[in-house]
Amino acid sequence: MQRRALETAAANYSYLRGLLYIPVGALFVLAALGNWEVGPLRHTWVFLLAALAIGALALAINRYYNESYGRLTPSTRQQVRAGVGLVFAVALMLGGASLLRSHASWSLDLPVNPIAICFALLMLASYAIGVGLKAHHVIIWGGLLVAGALPVWNGADPSNIGLLLCGAAVVVCGVFDHRLFVQIFGPPRAIDYENGDVPAH
Amino acid sequence: MSQLTEELVLDRLIHEPGRLAILTVLSSVTDADFVFLLRATGLTKGNLSSHLSRLEDAGLVAIEKRFVRKKPNTNVALTAEGRRRIAAHWEQLERLKRLGK
Repeated sequence: MQRRALETAAANYSYLRGLLYIPVGALFVLAALGNWEVGPLRHTWVFLLAALAIGALALAINRYYNESYGRLTPSTRQQVRAGVGLVFAVALMLGGASLLRSHASWSLDLPVNPIAICFALLMLASYAIGVGLKAHHVIIWGGLLVAGALPVWNGADPSNIGLLLCGAAVVVCGVFDHRLFVQIFGPPRAIDYENGDVPAH
Repeated sequence: MSQLTEELVLDRLIHEPGRLAILTVLSSVTDADFVFLLRATGLTKGNLSSHLSRLEDAGLVAIEKRFVRKKPNTNVALTAEGRRRIAAHWEQLERLKRLGK
């Protein structure tokens, strides 16, 4: 009996539903393109419409996971940990990015990409704590960390390129996470609901 | 039966692999539905259903039947007694493992 595998099923379910990361990555890319006012994205309503379409895609993907792989409510401990993690994430993104490069007087003002560095560190920590780092996590987020830390980000504010890189990394990581998810929980065959999900007993 | 042997007796209801898997998965969540339990334990629908019935009869799990998006959905959670018994069972197994070393 693989006790550890059974106990981590819930964590794997929460973390590795990788297709959900595709709309998240798309939102990052949309934010970067919106900031640059690329094409029709210079109009606020186009940006909002695109964001809504991405939201609808996320809901559809969530429904796919719920119907093919089931639903669960995490334990109170996991929910508290997620809440603390979120506070830590916001603090790291705001504080870390400002420390590395900003107009603040206490900023180190390094020629790096603070968004890419902080987000990569955040994701590495999140996966390490949540489900343990897999090879693709180390490669993708380690790669983003190195790219952000290279001292080549002189000149204009690199935040938008950072957002674009983060968005691409989130999408690629999501595809690999989903692959791992299917390996753990099986292929997405439909469950027969005709007579209910539990035979009469 | 000596006191030591009595202390090491395993809970037969829980020790069956299918039921042990169900209770172990449920011990790490607040609640989960039937489909998730199917996926996480690898049991068949019929097996999972009969194991859940036995666990419900023993008061170790609480089963709630509901509709989600007009489809029947069965939600399962450990009772306080179930949570206590599965924790005690794993502790017992660990003790046996340590004794075997």
